[in-house]
Amino acid sequence: MSETHIREDEFPHGVHRLREEQKKVVSGCEEQIQHWTKVEADYSSLQERLRTLPDKLSYDIMVPFGPLAFMPGKLVHTNEVTVLLGDNWFAKCSAKQAVGLAEHRKSHVRKTLDDLGKVAENFEARVGFTEDLRKYSGGGKGNYVDIREEVRDGEETLTKGKRRLAHKPNSMPRVESVLELPEEEEEEEEEAGGGAGGRRGVLSEEELWARLDQLQAQEDQLDDEDRASDGAEVNGEDATSSSSSEEEKDGEAGRLTNGLHSDEGWPSESRPSESRAELQPLPPQAHGAGLPNLLQEEEEEEEEDGEGGVPTIYFSHTMEPKKVRINTGRNTMLKFSERKEEAKRKKKNGSHHGNGHGHSHHELHKIKSPADFYRVFVDVVNGELVPRKSILKSRSRENSVCSDTSESSAADFEERRGLGRSLSHDEGTHSDTSEGILEEESPTGPRAPHLPFHYEAFSGTVVEKDPGMPTSIPHLTICAPALPTIPERKCEDPAPDGPQGPPKRVSKFKASRAKATM
Amino acid sequence: MAEAIQKKLQAELEKYQQMQKDVSKSMSARHKLETQLTENTIVKDELDLLDSENTVYKLIGPVLVKQDLDEAKATVAKRLEYINGEIQRYETLLKEMERKLDQHREVLSSLQQEYQRAQGRPVGKV
Repeated sequence: MSETHIREDEFPHGVHRLREEQKKVVSGCEEQIQHWTKVEADYSSLQERLRTLPDKLSYDIMVPFGPLAFMPGKLVHTNEVTVLLGDNWFAKCSAKQAVGLAEHRKSHVRKTLDDLGKVAENFEARVGFTEDLRKYSGGGKGNYVDIREEVRDGEETLTKGKRRLAHKPNSMPRVESVLELPEEEEEEEEEAGGGAGGRRGVLSEEELWARLDQLQAQEDQLDDEDRASDGAEVNGEDATSSSSSEEEKDGEAGRLTNGLHSDEGWPSESRPSESRAELQPLPPQAHGAGLPNLLQEEEEEEEEDGEGGVPTIYFSHTMEPKKVRINTGRNTMLKFSERKEEAKRKKKNGSHHGNGHGHSHHELHKIKSPADFYRVFVDVVNGELVPRKSILKSRSRENSVCSDTSESSAADFEERRGLGRSLSHDEGTHSDTSEGILEEESPTGPRAPHLPFHYEAFSGTVVEKDPGMPTSIPHLTICAPALPTIPERKCEDPAPDGPQGPPKRVSKFKASRAKATM
Repeated sequence: MAEAIQKKLQAELEKYQQMQKDVSKSMSARHKLETQLTENTIVKDELDLLDSENTVYKLIGPVLVKQDLDEAKATVAKRLEYINGEIQRYETLLKEMERKLDQHREVLSSLQQEYQRAQGRPVGKV
């Protein structure tokens, strides 16, 4: 309050002072103008006198003699004038010249007068403005009223709190938009009470909520009720354990993983309803085995692993997406070679399983940046067992090495050719076989069948692959360190996943992706 | 503590005031130079109006000394040049002083704050 009072007091006072100063300037200008007009008038009379002076030869005048007296005298040499030019310069000149000099002086005087007039005008306007300002602002004389609102410290703090609240509501609508949130929450509460509590504790953070909601929505979509229970637990763990940044990553990863899962053949939105129905019953067993381990590991990898727990799905889907990527866009030779190899493998698998189309689309959408590749890669690794990883690593290294070497380039070319062919074949097979493939995948749970598929694919479609496979195995050990971005995860993943045979194909993809990112 | 800061503040303030005096001095000098400049330009213009027949005098002390017109013109021109140079010099000088003044102002304000803080602390403690 005190401040406002001071303001009210100061403002009019300031205006008043301003007005006074401006008025002072104006009055000063007017004085100057008067002075200069007088000077001009003097010059005018001087000119007049100088003009008339030479009319006579001599004048009788009273000469001032000191301050007190005059004495009679005569003015002679009427046409001779000594002019003070200024700066103590004098010039003896004729009366006519003196008139000219006086005229010159007058021009200067006029110029000065003009300037002064402008200044006076300017300040006159300012005085008027300040007058108006005074009327508007404070005097209360005019019809104008200032709309003011006093802000106090307490109010400010309150507003801050309100703002935060406002943000929360916004975030909440987002969650609602997901639609499935309430169900997820219920599931979480029922299944994992601790996880739900952790969530609520984090409620204060908007980001956490949004991420959690996203994760939940993804899980709901991906997993059926059976899986939902597992997924809920995973979510709860994530929320509690992971920081905001981790959660974000998780959310992204979750999306990516979802895409992968869909590719793999898990029940996803993109996939046909039929495939889901078929897959759902079969996978739970496999998941049950794989999920617990994954959950322990934590975070994205865990989720991915849990989802990826079904080995069969991974193979077919991962292969196809890789193909798509290769076709769409990667320009580098190394990537091409790797992807091509992978694509070939996938194609082979796909021809068997027929899952590729839907997966490829999903992956394309999900992987928009190199960073996405990393996540995908990680997921696959997590899902894959140790042997798979080794194979993948070996393959990836082999691929990279190959790409560097002449062999790789040749292989790439061949692969490219093969890819084009394979793609066409795959599409046809995939579209037709999607349902049938699902069935096949579900049985793939026994990993043994997949391994043979891989070998067959290599030998059959591409000659290069066969040599690569054997070499890759030895490389695997070396490769593990080579993958710099996600070394820890890889190390962790392989140990638990080791036993699963089928994931090897997936791991190859991942390895290729990782190399591409590298 | 507060006293030391106050001493500092006092010294700084004196410096600042001295600076302000210097600035105002050079400002007035420059102003004088400008009036001289206008006067001399007028003289020069009026000398140009004169003929070679006209005698030109320079008032030196109480004596009018006769000067040659051309000589007078050259002298005035030189004088103008000199005055212009002086004005330039004062211009740069003033800018420099302005800068220093700003610095001093900043130091002063910071010192003032420090002083106020030093004064306020004991009160707060009590």
